[in-house]
Amino acid sequence: MSALRTARLVWSITWFNVRMLLASEFFVLITFIAPLIFATLGFFLFRSGGGTAGQTLLYVALGTGMMGVWSTTLFGCGGAIAWQRWEGTLELLVSAPTRYDLILVGQTFGAVVFGFYGIAATLVWGVVLFGMPIEATFPLLLPLSLLAAIVSLGSLGMLIATSFVLYRHANALGNLLEYPIWLVTGLLVPLWTLPFWVQPISWLLAPTWGMEAIRGATISAQPPLVAIVMCFVLAIGYYVAARFMLLYVLDKARRDATLSLQ
Amino acid sequence: MSYGMLFNWARPSIYIPTLIGGPTFQLFFFAALGSYATDRSPAYFAIGNAVQVSVLAGVFGMTMAIANERWFGTLPAILATPANRAALFAGRFLPFVANGLLVSIYALIVGIIFLGVRLESSSLAVVGLALLTTVFSCTAIGALQGAISLRLRDGLFGANIIMMGILLFCGVNIPLAELPAWMQVVGHMLPFTHGLQAVREAAAGAGLQQVGGLIGIEFLIGCAYALVAFGLFSLLERSARQNATLDVR
Repeated sequence: MSALRTARLVWSITWFNVRMLLASEFFVLITFIAPLIFATLGFFLFRSGGGTAGQTLLYVALGTGMMGVWSTTLFGCGGAIAWQRWEGTLELLVSAPTRYDLILVGQTFGAVVFGFYGIAATLVWGVVLFGMPIEATFPLLLPLSLLAAIVSLGSLGMLIATSFVLYRHANALGNLLEYPIWLVTGLLVPLWTLPFWVQPISWLLAPTWGMEAIRGATISAQPPLVAIVMCFVLAIGYYVAARFMLLYVLDKARRDATLSLQ
Repeated sequence: MSYGMLFNWARPSIYIPTLIGGPTFQLFFFAALGSYATDRSPAYFAIGNAVQVSVLAGVFGMTMAIANERWFGTLPAILATPANRAALFAGRFLPFVANGLLVSIYALIVGIIFLGVRLESSSLAVVGLALLTTVFSCTAIGALQGAISLRLRDGLFGANIIMMGILLFCGVNIPLAELPAWMQVVGHMLPFTHGLQAVREAAAGAGLQQVGGLIGIEFLIGCAYALVAFGLFSLLERSARQNATLDVR
């Protein structure tokens, strides 16, 4: 398959998935409403501690927006293969001439792109209700930072999709992993305030670098080049791991004749 | 029996990650965030969230217990029986109150071990009573959401909104006095606010004389929500019979 056809395939599935998620009350909730509530909570908490500077508000808005991105990635990708099973489309997709991992790439990127609407929502919320200034110290790096964050989270989403399918109740895993990742990736609480052993864990997680790349381009004094590079490095690592995982899962499902079983 | 059948999370593979793991990390998250953003101790946030996590059992559980009757196709059979509706409704309540209590007590123990929560031994019984009343009123708003869910495509949407509303409006992480006036008004009308305040004061050593009023208000709020829920359930039952929509999803 040519690169152009591959890109068109991934794009059309991404867009299709964004529209599917837009029709889901649950995903509208975790992408748009939950980040606004957490942003409000964050604004009040930081205000209570005397943090009323514009940069503090922007820090909170970006952090809570990224919390929404993580929730959408977790739930949107965690159940991706399971949903295809329930809907009866998994067998058709796996046996189609198109590579199944490319279909999954489109699906997981759809969830992540959808999640990024949440960041826009929290920024607007902060500006309208809390008078938050919109500023970027490195505006030219911001699009690259966003792209790096989307790519790394999308690849992590693919790894989540291929590994969560081994657990029968993927949503329960989602319920478990929402808060700890919000915490250990420093979305609202800086990593230096957490125990030292948390830092190595955070380095392996895409939201840490995605957040650092976006914050670096908006409120940091240094350009976030390391964070952007780390996003792409992690994305490659996640993709390779997800590909191996997918081959294992599909092979196992074929051998056990459980591809369409829930 | 209805608890086991209708509560989707009543199996270890879902219960443990959702009602044990999730609340544990919620406590750590807000304790870390709150103590970083403000000058309050992690224990303040741990107590608030330890009480708040009973929402998972009370609100989500009750929503499932009522709304799932429709989704599982058992609603017509239930409503065809001559059983007393109030007894049917009350029977749904008790397991979720017990479950919510269990989740909150577990979370309080986590708070005591890791986050510096201290409960005065002289007022443990008062803490227990305040907690029980709070979980009851939380289950009552869950029952209301369950009744509303009989008409909705996705009842858990509303349950999520209630959970987040309680997190924001009821003094779980931000003292009510620091919220804008209109948010304080909303907070006073929701379950949790008075109960949580009673738990906090009792944990610091206040006796029944000091927090009895708060517990009483919390109980009345819970009863009000339970009555509205039962009224709505009865109304929707009559309407569904008249319009032949009992089984329509």
